[in-house]
Amino acid sequence: MAAPILSVRDLTTVIHTEGIRFKVVRGVSFDLYPNEILGLVGESGCGKTMTALSVMGLIPAPAARVTGGKVMFRDRDLVRLSERQMREVRGDDISMIFQDPLTSLDPMFTIGHLLTEVIRRHRSISRAEAEALALQALTEVELPDPQIRMNQYPHQLSGGMRQRVMIGMALMLDPDILIADEPTTALDVTVQAQILDRLVGQQRRRDMSMLLITHDLGVVAAVADRVAVMYSGEIVEQATVEELFADPQHPYTQGLLQAVPQTRHQRGALHTIPGRVPPPQFIPPGCAFSPRCAQALVRCWEERPELVADGHRDLRCFNPQPLALV
Amino acid sequence: MRYLAKRTVYMLVILALSSVAVFYAIRLSGGDATAARLPASATEADRETFREVLGLNDPIYQQYFTYMGRLLSGDLGNSLTNNALISKMLIEHGRNSLVLGAAAFILVFLVGVPLGMLASVRRNTFVDQGIMSLSVAGMAVPNFWLALLSIWLFASVLGWLPSAGCCEPRQLLLPAIVLAAEGTALTVRMTRSAMLENLDSDWVRTLRAGGLSEARVIGKHVFRNALIPIISLAGLRIGQIVGYALIVEVIFGWPGLGQVLVNAVLRRDYPVAQFFSLVLIVMVVLGNWLADLGYLAANPRLRKV
Repeated sequence: MAAPILSVRDLTTVIHTEGIRFKVVRGVSFDLYPNEILGLVGESGCGKTMTALSVMGLIPAPAARVTGGKVMFRDRDLVRLSERQMREVRGDDISMIFQDPLTSLDPMFTIGHLLTEVIRRHRSISRAEAEALALQALTEVELPDPQIRMNQYPHQLSGGMRQRVMIGMALMLDPDILIADEPTTALDVTVQAQILDRLVGQQRRRDMSMLLITHDLGVVAAVADRVAVMYSGEIVEQATVEELFADPQHPYTQGLLQAVPQTRHQRGALHTIPGRVPPPQFIPPGCAFSPRCAQALVRCWEERPELVADGHRDLRCFNPQPLALV
Repeated sequence: MRYLAKRTVYMLVILALSSVAVFYAIRLSGGDATAARLPASATEADRETFREVLGLNDPIYQQYFTYMGRLLSGDLGNSLTNNALISKMLIEHGRNSLVLGAAAFILVFLVGVPLGMLASVRRNTFVDQGIMSLSVAGMAVPNFWLALLSIWLFASVLGWLPSAGCCEPRQLLLPAIVLAAEGTALTVRMTRSAMLENLDSDWVRTLRAGGLSEARVIGKHVFRNALIPIISLAGLRIGQIVGYALIVEVIFGWPGLGQVLVNAVLRRDYPVAQFFSLVLIVMVVLGNWLADLGYLAANPRLRKV
């Protein structure tokens, strides 16, 4: 396999608020290889977005801070870059799209203005050239009437159109890496598929790597090459999509997969994982999942399992049991 | 456009209603208009003749229509006290008031907006706390008290500035600052909270993710969004300045409309008092209307494209 383009090692992010300190990202490690889509899945509050924002250097300072680990990108550790150096990376080498397209564009400026401002911040080109580039980006994401949209304000566009604008904005400078944080969650189901399609199409065409953050396993199964499952600020299982879906080993991954509604199979109540995600202030001392785990051993309550690689998959569990698939 | 039309109609209705209110208030507040003009030795018969000539014995509503008719045809009338042309007083004293009011208005925004921005980007530091404490003081201290304090300090003790008079820049400074104090304090708070609210927006993260600098994100984008409430409150600041000008002009001996109005009311100089009351009301209402206009211009979501 080629060398990874992004290599995250032991990333730790701490939030310090009202006198309490707690880790929201607890030693996350993963590699993102050229031209692949890595799905980062987990429930709300498991630290997916915090992980992405930590990579981007966009965590809300001073309350949150990356306290440890490395984010290696092109032989540079992004964690150690100055804010000024990091600004060169953001939007140009690594760009990001966010969950809610309705609130993610500055309402006071036209689409064209917002796009050209970012372009001209990274490229020394004329306004006209920047506008041409922006227009091209909007055309590529198949925004209808891009020329008209350039002069419109965000409120004049629908949610789906605004997400296309966000994607166009993220892709217009040909980044090496795109981080997409729940890019379709806020959209209508019919629009979701179109947006996802557009996103993946662009990723393949541009030889770009993508970190796709989602809680939707269906999305991951459809587009990702590999999957990392996060729970309570750490990765609990990581494998290729085929392997993970065929043979999930971590009890949490198994629970997630069982919770997906299956229209072809049994009717009745959906499978749920008992309990809830512990708030980051109160993570149990052993395995974070142990209070909700049917297979937990005494050891699981006392000792934190390491993420162990067996060549095919990384797993953080003392007592994996094969899932009796229905 | 419909919004603007609606606001314009409101403005006209408010003007009409307040002109009636002012007219009645002055006439029903007691006192004798004849004292303004006639010597103390004048007989009751003389006074009665005088009232008759001026139409003061007519029912008030009739006086109102007569007055408004003249007003709308451009006849502002004369002062009862010294027979001076009110139109002339308007130009002379209006100019002074305009200078003072404009100076205060500019101060409000020139000082208030940058301080509010500074407080917001230095949120929860001692810079922020210092600015906010000043702003609480600015709102809490009544302006007549601030006026007296500043005269005492800068004129009597330090002797840096004259205590009163018109119309040198040096004489303008103290009244303008006092007149601007409360509005500045409010603008600081307004700006700070509008900036903070917008700083928390999702789109701020988008701009940062695009690699824009903090100076750009805050100075251009967040500020541009924060400007909407600031502009819409600018109109209210006009009203506040107009109202406080009455007090401040009297204390500092600044010969503006406020001073003229206060004197006219004290002397029951009806034509002067009611005309200048109306002028002040027009200023306030116009200020609000301008704010609506500014709000419309500043907010693309309200513009029809």
